[in-house]
Amino acid sequence: MSTVMKTTRDVKGIGLSIPRPDGPEKVTGQVQYVADLSPRGLLHAKLLRSPHAHARILRIDVSRARALPGVRAVLTAADIPELKRKAPTRAHAVLAIDRVVFAGQPVAAVAADEPAIAEEALDLIDVQYEVLPVSADPLEAMKPGAPPVADAGTEADTSEAQAHGSVAGVTTEAKPAKAVNISQQARIQRGDVAKGFAESDVVIEKTYRVPMVHQGYLEPHAVLAQWDTTGFLTLWSSTQGSFNTRSEVADVLELSENRIKVIPMECGGGFGGKIRALCEPITAILARATGRPVRYVMTRREELEAGMPAPQVIIRLKTGVKRDGTLMAIEGEAVLESGAFSGAVLAVSGVFLASLYLWPSFDVKGFEVLTHKPSIAAYRAPVAPQTIFAIDSQMEQLAKAIGVDPVEFRLRHLQREGDKMANGQPWLSNGGAEVLTRLAEHPLWKKRAEWKASSPKGRLRGTGLSLGGWLGGLQPTGATVRLNPDGSVQVLTGQVDIAGTNIALAQIAATAYGIDVDKVRITTGDTDVAPMTGLSAGSKTIYTVGVAVMEAAKDARNQTLEIAAKELEASVHDLEIDNEKVVVRGVPDKGITLAQIGKKGNLYMSKVQPVLGVSHPAFSQQAPAFCAQLAKIEIDPETGEVTLHDFVVVQDVGKAINPLAIEGQMQGGAVQSLGMALTEALVYDDKARLTNPSLLDYRKLTSADLPNIETIIVEKPSPHGPFGARGVGEPPIVPAPAAIANAIEDATGVRLTELPLTSERIALAIASAT
Amino acid sequence: MRRFELILPESVDDCVRALAQRGPETKLLAGGTDLLPQLKNGLLKPARVIDLSGVARLRAIEPADGQGLRIGSAVTARTLELDNIVRARYLSLAESGALVGSVQVRNLATLGGNLCNAAPSADMAPPLLALDAEAVITGPKGERRVPIAAFFTGVRHTVLAPDELLVELVVPTPAPHSGGNYLRHTPRRELDIAVVGVASQLTLANGVCTKARIALAAVAPVPVRATAAEQSLEGQPVTPDRIARAADLALEVARPISDQRGSAEFRRHLVRVLTRRTLITALARASA
Repeated sequence: MSTVMKTTRDVKGIGLSIPRPDGPEKVTGQVQYVADLSPRGLLHAKLLRSPHAHARILRIDVSRARALPGVRAVLTAADIPELKRKAPTRAHAVLAIDRVVFAGQPVAAVAADEPAIAEEALDLIDVQYEVLPVSADPLEAMKPGAPPVADAGTEADTSEAQAHGSVAGVTTEAKPAKAVNISQQARIQRGDVAKGFAESDVVIEKTYRVPMVHQGYLEPHAVLAQWDTTGFLTLWSSTQGSFNTRSEVADVLELSENRIKVIPMECGGGFGGKIRALCEPITAILARATGRPVRYVMTRREELEAGMPAPQVIIRLKTGVKRDGTLMAIEGEAVLESGAFSGAVLAVSGVFLASLYLWPSFDVKGFEVLTHKPSIAAYRAPVAPQTIFAIDSQMEQLAKAIGVDPVEFRLRHLQREGDKMANGQPWLSNGGAEVLTRLAEHPLWKKRAEWKASSPKGRLRGTGLSLGGWLGGLQPTGATVRLNPDGSVQVLTGQVDIAGTNIALAQIAATAYGIDVDKVRITTGDTDVAPMTGLSAGSKTIYTVGVAVMEAAKDARNQTLEIAAKELEASVHDLEIDNEKVVVRGVPDKGITLAQIGKKGNLYMSKVQPVLGVSHPAFSQQAPAFCAQLAKIEIDPETGEVTLHDFVVVQDVGKAINPLAIEGQMQGGAVQSLGMALTEALVYDDKARLTNPSLLDYRKLTSADLPNIETIIVEKPSPHGPFGARGVGEPPIVPAPAAIANAIEDATGVRLTELPLTSERIALAIASAT
Repeated sequence: MRRFELILPESVDDCVRALAQRGPETKLLAGGTDLLPQLKNGLLKPARVIDLSGVARLRAIEPADGQGLRIGSAVTARTLELDNIVRARYLSLAESGALVGSVQVRNLATLGGNLCNAAPSADMAPPLLALDAEAVITGPKGERRVPIAAFFTGVRHTVLAPDELLVELVVPTPAPHSGGNYLRHTPRRELDIAVVGVASQLTLANGVCTKARIALAAVAPVPVRATAAEQSLEGQPVTPDRIARAADLALEVARPISDQRGSAEFRRHLVRVLTRRTLITALARASA
């Protein structure tokens, strides 16, 4: 695709730092979210959730709840004929049929006039459970004889991996017959690892653990459902993909997709947690049962107890290196705890472990394991932060063990464009080496020895860095660009704007068409009116929808010039758009305004076609995007408290369409990455019940914990992205855990391998080491 | 949140009358920073809530008949943090107020709420124990005073009868050459709960410690005084060795549990670290 635009002057378009136009109305509370809608006759839904992680439902008595004044419906699985006993996905498990498989699983649903009445009705539902043994620990759950989670015969769900377009070519292995909770299994291998280790001078073996963490979007899951008298369903949903929501709800309710309209509302964050349908089906069913609009908004407690968090990941790694720095072999196992339903992106882990660095021999196994916990979903670069924590920590230790510079060691072995990944596919163009090199030139890295030496009495200072990335997602998409009668331009996609992408797409349209961005309006349409559009996920909105918008804008430009060529009796090749006017090059006073062309396309009896640019591309080439991060820290060795003094993010974005928005992504991703590194964990007891179901004890970092986060944008153009752009959303959440662990070792000499790197873990490790 | 009846008394007497009629399902609302999350999450489902915001006496700070300061139970954490008299005489109490929640939380959260909620981790309890404060309680049979050390009876339990109200705390004025300090450890800087909290208070005369108080939070079902550690300091000069020994002795009363906020092992480790640090600061302040 050509990326050279011909305009006579630089329009206000790509490359400009433009604040999000929706910012002011968001921070002043003017934006309408699902929870703000109030259609006539609205009912409020609440769900009765299981207190047990694994139990048989012996009896449910809803009679007292149904009798409560103001209650309009009380439903159990028995009232929903579409429900399948072997639910293939979480979305299909609308209400538990006769067995609950995680604490917080919905058992009954209520719709009532007021939220408080619905809550009182929940108190009046009597459920008798027979509590069953649980599989709470993934390593125990893998063993033969562990309490089973899924009903026999349930298929693994790999759609998440496909949605992220991430990795192909990893061998799927047949699972062992008796290990009932291993839902997916894969292995990648090459060469002779035993020989590799035998010939190594240094072999390091460690096990890395990353707990389940929650995406932490500000707005909880929310949906409003309403049926019309013809049986047509409208859903107002906080979703990362309206078309995907439509497909999933259609599948669960056994409806034709053209009987459902999904209106994507303003989405208060998703980070992967709002890709899959969660509460849409039950809300639609309650609306059907009552004949009224019904809204369901999850509470924060429900989000933490029964949302769709990121998997726990346990990675054992054994790596061998020669004293001269030659990598010899890597062997490992990655266990991904998927909760009660399958759906982990298993292959990402294997590919990053075995093919970020060039190992002559490798043998890496991956297991997806089911446990009696809420099922997992994507979280910003799913499984990449967890995997990079393991492999980057390992690389740092190898470099230390043989006494070589850790940056040079990584750069020497980093796979480059054309090198074969573990799955045999070649690495595509990327800026991995560039971002690491750039970070190593930073004064904070160059002066790390001085920082360490400056530790005041009773404090330990250190610096660490890490390199990580994301392979990039792909999905077909579409966009239209039309010229309005006043000469302004209108862009339509179905893309949900969860990250400030609409302003960037408008900038792309502006540059591609040849008009200032303030003359471009962009709309996210619903599933009835928008071109088919993919998920806002996988760092692919600008990379894919950006292409569609760019091509549609070029198409609209070409149509505009063709109309102008007839009107001006000039060759289309001699025309250009200048200041909202099509002019003949070199004859500035001969021209026709865009408004005149736009009007001709909209006049009664006019013979001029309206301008409507269309593009609906599909894609085959990903654009890997890398990020390197540096942490400068100080530790109180007695309390284990970590003070972040500085944090630096260097990221290859290909081409910065809107640098301000990108810096926001880099900082936001870094904050989430630091949260995973330092404080965040969903902590379960041995009955698989969550012990910290509030934001008090599930600790996201606050501004008081965070330092200035410096952002450095590197631009290594991608061959296929619009104007060379790459995805930017996911890479910055990847490196911080390893960077912090490396900095802690630099400061204290202690190597920690289990996230989060809490003050307790740090203090006790130091105490036991001294 | 379930529906409930809201009662709005305008005086302590009104409040006592409302309490006298209370059923078992009545809750007092001061700042609401503990109560409301529990109501919203369905952990508490009271039939009646008595809102104390209209009772002016509960928000007063005033001299107590020549023997210290009366601090109303509905005085906010933010007021304790900023009040000049509290800061001048009872710095450790001001420090505990300054550590609660965030500024928004501190503008609502109250002293009485922190104490009556009776969490083992209550930040304002250790400084009040170290300052020998008394709780003033009123009920249908009149007013009574209870030393704060005897106020707590268990996790989320106090000496308050169902028809009684905590009106205020009376805090004696420390002798000259006294100094105190409160420190706590939290995994996150703000918006967090103490894994361990320690308050120390020292009084010096001619270089000798005449009075030592050390109180611990979050290491036992109720806030506790480390009396053996206190006694090890009294009657002699406070030296680094004696501080280290007191920090070891403070462990004797710590019977911590392991929970999602910290293991028993880490809590014991912190008792030693924070006792030593608060004693060093208290000594410096008493000597100043």
